[in-house]
Amino acid sequence: MTSANKSIRAARYGMTIDVDRCNGCGACMMACAVENNVPPAHEGATDRKGLTWIRVFKVDNGEEYPDRRTAFVPVMCQHCGNETPCVHVCPQQAVDVDPATGVVGEMPQRCLGCRYCMAACPYHARYFNWWDPAWPAGMEKTLNPGVTPRMRGVVEKCNLCHGRWHAAKEAAAAAGKPDTEPVDYTPACAEVCPTAAIHFGDLNDATSVVAMEAGKAESFRLLERLNTQPKIYYRSKRDWVREIAAAPQPGARKEKARG
Amino acid sequence: MKTNRREILMFAGGSAVGVLFTPAPWRLITDTALWSENWPGIPAPARGEIRARFTNCSLCPAGCAVRARCVGDQPVQLSGVTGHPLSHGALCPFGIVGHHLPHLPARVKEGPLKEAAAALADGIAKCGPAESVAVLDLRPSRTASWTYRRAMAALKNGRYVTPSGDTSVAVDLSKARTVLSFGVPVLDGWGTPGNVNAARTGFHLIQVDPVESRTASMADRWLRVRPGSEDALAQALAGRITHAAAADTTGLTVPEIAALAKELEQNGPVLVLGSSRLASGSGIVIARRETPVPEEWKKAAPAENLASLPDRSVRVLMIDESASAEYLSWNAIEKKLVGDNPVVVVFACSREGYARHANYVLPVGVYPEVADDIPPAIDSVAAMFRISAPLVSPPAGMVKPEEFVAAAAALGIGDTLRERADTIHKTGRGKLFTYADAKSQALKDVSADNFWKALNAGGCWIDELDSKPSPARLTTVAPEVRPAEESELPLAVVLTHELTPGSPLLSKLYRESNLRLAPGRVALNPSCGLDDGAPAVLETLLGKCRVGVTLDAAIPPGVVQASASPALLDLCAAGVRAKVVRV
Repeated sequence: MTSANKSIRAARYGMTIDVDRCNGCGACMMACAVENNVPPAHEGATDRKGLTWIRVFKVDNGEEYPDRRTAFVPVMCQHCGNETPCVHVCPQQAVDVDPATGVVGEMPQRCLGCRYCMAACPYHARYFNWWDPAWPAGMEKTLNPGVTPRMRGVVEKCNLCHGRWHAAKEAAAAAGKPDTEPVDYTPACAEVCPTAAIHFGDLNDATSVVAMEAGKAESFRLLERLNTQPKIYYRSKRDWVREIAAAPQPGARKEKARG
Repeated sequence: MKTNRREILMFAGGSAVGVLFTPAPWRLITDTALWSENWPGIPAPARGEIRARFTNCSLCPAGCAVRARCVGDQPVQLSGVTGHPLSHGALCPFGIVGHHLPHLPARVKEGPLKEAAAALADGIAKCGPAESVAVLDLRPSRTASWTYRRAMAALKNGRYVTPSGDTSVAVDLSKARTVLSFGVPVLDGWGTPGNVNAARTGFHLIQVDPVESRTASMADRWLRVRPGSEDALAQALAGRITHAAAADTTGLTVPEIAALAKELEQNGPVLVLGSSRLASGSGIVIARRETPVPEEWKKAAPAENLASLPDRSVRVLMIDESASAEYLSWNAIEKKLVGDNPVVVVFACSREGYARHANYVLPVGVYPEVADDIPPAIDSVAAMFRISAPLVSPPAGMVKPEEFVAAAAALGIGDTLRERADTIHKTGRGKLFTYADAKSQALKDVSADNFWKALNAGGCWIDELDSKPSPARLTTVAPEVRPAEESELPLAVVLTHELTPGSPLLSKLYRESNLRLAPGRVALNPSCGLDDGAPAVLETLLGKCRVGVTLDAAIPPGVVQASASPALLDLCAAGVRAKVVRV
């Protein structure tokens, strides 16, 4: 997936998520699981051992009724653009940042399951395959042919629907477009979001919706003080949502998350 | 040359160290990883020609337009159809995994067809003058519903029963400036998701809810009232009781109620959902034109509510659960059955619903295996006709409920969907919207054959809007609540209608994330004394049911939030008293 060809105009794919529009329906989670052949829960799976490449968290402002307010925050791999923590700790070089797209990729074939990357990820956006992937009899027919299911014992995470990126590249090549240009594609979560809370695009393209939304005053990123430069931007007009995203020191506010 | 033992050991040791400097062991590790990726435990996705097919989702009354990405004929991914005038390209989480339904592990795949037919014939023959043969249709106004009505008209004592409400009532969301909802999940399952989201910026949403539901959390204003006190607030707003009396009952303050009344007065037109006490603004709730049917079909049994049937009068009951929208408590149904050996036949794909109480359970095809039409959704102002065209074939042995019922009544039927499509075509009214190209064309410009083909390839007919629609009222059926002592049953039930359990992949929303409360689970305040995740028993005056417990600080003390499942709905309705005890 990597290419060092300097003639390529590097893209910086990212997302903007409007927290004020998200109603926590979970359509993004389902579309992601279908697109990426993420298996259903094993009998022993819990909310800590499940596989959810994108996960919607319910957060509140910690107040009691009538001042109580709630928001839904979809969280996936934040595709850190600076000192990507998971890349640095992987002993197998199974994680890399594609210079052509900015996407943090994961190669399950190289992964030996040490889970250093899970410990290093400040966003808890990586998931370990505790069990062999299994679908009920007959349901294997519904798997997406563009993505290979992963084996037990490896870590997996959001790759901004890399299968779709490949398909878009192939389609662009078939249409005679130069290989050096970024392609237009949309990850499954952004495609299905019924409230249009999720937008996807090239942050390097100043005319794209994501680049414009990312530059707005209400825009923020999770744990910005870590300076990992995530490519997932969030938006909310509510101060308390932005405060939670900054994750103040424990006890600084009565925050609480369920999800 | 003589080789001694020391030299052999040195050679072996040197070789072992030396091999580490060759690519061999590292290559072996890589190869092992590659082999393990392809071991038999990992299913290999099918390969084949990839193409798009279109249909309509029949899982709920919204009937969203669906684009299916297929490998060969097998759908592998479902998404919405951009540009659709009502669903606007949106699909709910349940609809996104609808293509998994044919593979549900708990699916009913065989049933006693001959025995059921014989018992049915026997029951019809034994039906006394004060007794009846009834069909309970959980999603009325379909073409299959007309077959049921015709079949019941052909029988001497036939009755056609629907859950409640008038299916011709429509809500024009675009005309409402304020929506006052009494517990209705406006943003989480009511109406067509895409249409509600599209209209959302145009109205101010006030949600009256005892707990912070998904809609309450997204509403412009959430009014937390005591469970079961919603009607008192509605009465106060209608001027039937004083604000002070309503404040005592609901737990709101008098200024809050006064401010709400003022806001409703100033920020109209108002759409009121979930209460019959208040009327909605002019032109918001209207009577939709009926989707045309052949004239000869109209000699049909009238639609009746279950409550209108005399108790202990139904000798034979057939329940079509294949396309369900509402669930009626079995207690309400059971008391309509005759006391001695009633015959209950249920058409269902799982044993979780009415199949638990049936004499005969007959398996049916599921979405997207069977062709069925979907009546217009409640937020569709125009009449519509759309077919959930099958994308895959059903397994052998599935029963078509309408054919079974028609045969029981000796009613000959043909291709009813085609007959209805032809009738619509003859009117020449409205337009045809086709999904593949997202284009509309006037129906009068389309031939009957092309109209039929388009409906089956992904399309819908949309009627012209009535220039002067008649006003209508939304009806709300109050649940039957038996009084109970608060000391015996200390909790008030609040129901949340979560997604029906379908695809195993929905575990992502329940077990793997706790984003939603799984069907059959209850949420309680952490002060309840039970452990999170512990099995428990929910008890009401109607019986007991095993549930799983989720502790949630957002649930007020004295309230149990129950996620609706058929077993729970048989015991509970909103506002009933209950207790939850440790197993």
